[in-house]
Amino acid sequence: MSSDTLLIIGGGPAGLEAARGAADLGCKTILVERLSRLGGTPISANYAALTHGMRDASEVMGEMIAAVDGDPLVDIRLNTSVTACSGAAGDFSVTLTRGGTDETVSVGAVIVATGFEHFDPGRANQQYGYYMYDDVLTLQDAEKMLKEKNFVRPSTGKPPERVCFIQCVGSRDRRIGNEYCSKVCCGVASKQAIEIRQLLPNCRVFIFYIDMRMYGYWENEIYWPAQEKYKVSYIKGVISEIVMKGDRLMIRGEDTTMNRPMEVPMDIVILSNGMEPSGGTKAIATTLGLRQNTYGFINVAHDTLDPVSTSVPGVFVAGAAAGPKDLDDTMGMAGAATMKAVGAIRRMARGAAIKA
Amino acid sequence: MTERAQLASQVPDSEKERLFNEVKADLRFGDYLYGCYECGICVAVCPSARFYDFSPRRIAQAVAREDVELVWEQMNGEVWECSQCFSCLLCPRGNNPGGIITIMREVAVKNGLHSAQQALEGYTRIIYKIMSTGTQVSPDMIRPEAFPDWGPTAKETADNLEVWRRAMPPDTMHTTSASWEVDDKTLTELYLIWHLSGVLDMIKALDESLHMILVDVMEEKLEEAGYPLS
Amino acid sequence: MAIPINLPVVQPGTQARKGNFARRPEDAPENLRERTLELGAKGEWVVHRVPEPCVEVPTRSNGIKRVPLQHTWHHKSCGQCGHIPGYSTSIFWLHRKLGLEYNDPRDQTSCTAWNYYASATSNQAAQAAVAMRNFAAAYETGYFPQIHCATSYGHYKEVRAEMVHHKELREQVRGILAKMGKPLVMPEEIVHYSEWVYAVRHEIAKRKVLDLSQITVTVHPACHYYKLVQEDAIYDPDVYGGQRTAVVTAVAQALGATVGDYSTWFDCCGFGFRHILVQRDFSRSFAVQRKIEAMRDEVNPDVTLTHDTGCVTTLDKSQFAAQAHQGVKAAIPVLSEAQFAALGMGAHPYRVCQLHWHAADYRPLLEKMGIDWRERWREFEDDVERLKANPGSFLTWEDADGEWAVPAAHPDHVKHGGR
Repeated sequence: MSSDTLLIIGGGPAGLEAARGAADLGCKTILVERLSRLGGTPISANYAALTHGMRDASEVMGEMIAAVDGDPLVDIRLNTSVTACSGAAGDFSVTLTRGGTDETVSVGAVIVATGFEHFDPGRANQQYGYYMYDDVLTLQDAEKMLKEKNFVRPSTGKPPERVCFIQCVGSRDRRIGNEYCSKVCCGVASKQAIEIRQLLPNCRVFIFYIDMRMYGYWENEIYWPAQEKYKVSYIKGVISEIVMKGDRLMIRGEDTTMNRPMEVPMDIVILSNGMEPSGGTKAIATTLGLRQNTYGFINVAHDTLDPVSTSVPGVFVAGAAAGPKDLDDTMGMAGAATMKAVGAIRRMARGAAIKA
Repeated sequence: MTERAQLASQVPDSEKERLFNEVKADLRFGDYLYGCYECGICVAVCPSARFYDFSPRRIAQAVAREDVELVWEQMNGEVWECSQCFSCLLCPRGNNPGGIITIMREVAVKNGLHSAQQALEGYTRIIYKIMSTGTQVSPDMIRPEAFPDWGPTAKETADNLEVWRRAMPPDTMHTTSASWEVDDKTLTELYLIWHLSGVLDMIKALDESLHMILVDVMEEKLEEAGYPLS
Repeated sequence: MAIPINLPVVQPGTQARKGNFARRPEDAPENLRERTLELGAKGEWVVHRVPEPCVEVPTRSNGIKRVPLQHTWHHKSCGQCGHIPGYSTSIFWLHRKLGLEYNDPRDQTSCTAWNYYASATSNQAAQAAVAMRNFAAAYETGYFPQIHCATSYGHYKEVRAEMVHHKELREQVRGILAKMGKPLVMPEEIVHYSEWVYAVRHEIAKRKVLDLSQITVTVHPACHYYKLVQEDAIYDPDVYGGQRTAVVTAVAQALGATVGDYSTWFDCCGFGFRHILVQRDFSRSFAVQRKIEAMRDEVNPDVTLTHDTGCVTTLDKSQFAAQAHQGVKAAIPVLSEAQFAALGMGAHPYRVCQLHWHAADYRPLLEKMGIDWRERWREFEDDVERLKANPGSFLTWEDADGEWAVPAAHPDHVKHGGR
């Protein structure tokens, strides 16, 4: 006996886009979100503007939520977690837990869209003292201030004169165990650098990098304007340590292209912290029995040819639950996962076997 | 042409290749070098880079690129400038530039390179000290003429050495020619390690007379203890 | 002496401002203690277990390290015993005052790593064999190694990792040790004395007899303690927000001193292994220009505390030449935290802490701590005269705690130690 309902776990960009697509295809959907509101990380982490186009993040997410909210085919369950699962493709029996109360639902397929979390820079291999210094921030801390259009030194409340970004914090680091590139930080840092220069035209902004990875249109839309119009200084060299000298931060590194050591005062240092699988992603992988890679992200059938099928037939993944993804990837994956999930439900309703 | 360049031109490529292969054959090499981002974090924290024209990044790059010529040059020069503090272990790639340098120095010593002999000029008395007494330094090394920059304490210490050594409570430390009293049996076991692990051969390549003195000191004890020397 | 015009403001830089950072178990890298135990279970070597009682301390990798309180085998440091002997003596004295028994062996060699890092006149197998010989010697006594030197400590942790990862190295070293009739023994934990001092810091603080609240210190952490193998160095969420190693700093704070932060905290001291012996222009310049001057300009401390042989040597001995050339600036005394703690507990500055071996002037520090160094020196000179008159006699532990002592907060009931 097969179920015609699709379960989507996670109410961020991937889950919302998947729910919208499934409803468009006429498929009944249950959308489960652990928190009390939809919108995912762009909302919970206070994103200011999204690339491409630098549109306001809450506005964009508002549109995505409006596209599913009230749709009779989408059953939205907030404050709800998936705590157990049995059965197989076509007929999963899934326990949804809300405030201590369990409910079991029958679903034909599942899309996991549980996303990532930002790397905690307390674990950085380098000597950055995030927990010691008020003026050392993460991209998310900076994003929150940029959203409020009030970019100041937390220690003094005054606007900074010198700000820098340090790239690859928690990414591309064998000692941390995160060998992968988090993909978005180069773009986000450059975007924030532009926003800082727009808000504070007298503030100097530096980006210390290993490689700038501004592929596709990020090059002409962000990287070039950051350098050419906003005069952001890009310096190849990773910062080894952040210390206090007087009442200012001081960073140390090597300016590798100029072959000279740097000791530079800064008012604010922003750590471009990368992506790690969210707690929700690791938990759901266990609940559903999905194979994970060495970093805890969910394994897919083939990163190029089938980036949405998981190790369990009938369970698909979209967005950063499957590894570091930007929003472009995420939206594309959501569409592909929806197509495969709804396709599987329909095929089994016809009595045919699911095709991996 | 610099002295080193002149020397470099006299050494055949095959010899440079052989030395490099010896570096790569070390059991630790695979754990010490992965790849290099050229991010400069190793240089940023390097004390020697602030003082000398020295760069752990250049060393890692040369070795990673298998630039045999450059590796040979470094093995004959800047490797001796490294402080071996291992601050460079911050490397995000997990490289250990200081460790690569340890191996390069070892190969330089083992092959009796003239540059290694020069770098260790004046240091051989300390090799003798550690290998023969089991402690690296000794109280009687503090002589004002050896440490003029240490101020009047060096002279006071030297003048009062014997009685000052007795004027401390731990009874292992009433020594002047070693840092503490090391048992004869312990020393013999140490000599056996030098003998069995090939260290004496390295010393022979570095400094024949030092080797002769050490063998003299060790042979008697090892034979007494019944360890076969062949 | 010139009075500094701009008195630096001391910023206690050791408090977390954003809350404390807690590490998660799943983020821990390979746990070498567990690998050591696994290899023990497979019969590859004997694991020397940490004796009870021990204190569990937090490490950088979110591990818990078990630091034994007593029944320890003191792996002495050649540079400490040879050139700054009050360092070793203070460590022993603290054990005795806390009533914790220990073994001060003669069946111990140096780790030989100073020479190895200086000259490379050794190799991986020899270095591992020296370490394993010492570990086996400790195991034979039943006492657990406590390692006085940070270089020995770091180097032994390198050796442990290599021995765990390379079977062929284990075989080679096993063969060498077998020739001397010793088994392969790996301690369950590799423990530095400064971890022991950290573990007993509150006990030390309880027995403090001097008020140290007016003393400002700077801390120099040893590269080979927390950089060489970083995973199991002590990181405490309550010190520097868990973002820097907590040893030394936590001890100074427990003793009630103010710890001032400075901008070259992470810098090496400039020891250089080879350089400190035969190329001291490098060591001197680095130590003075990068470390001492930054400390003085930014904190102006009464003393700088560190926890390693090379660091005390370099920072202490390098100041004289710079002073002689520049002529004006006062030295910053350099002590190990063990010496500082011992002084705080009422140890004799000369009989126990052996400060006459130090080059940078420590007397203003003693005065500020309330220690009458002139009277103490006179007592020590009397000792010396007595020893001169009696060749073959030695200063004893009883002498060290003789008549002069500041009344101890707690009675000393130590009856053991040494051999």
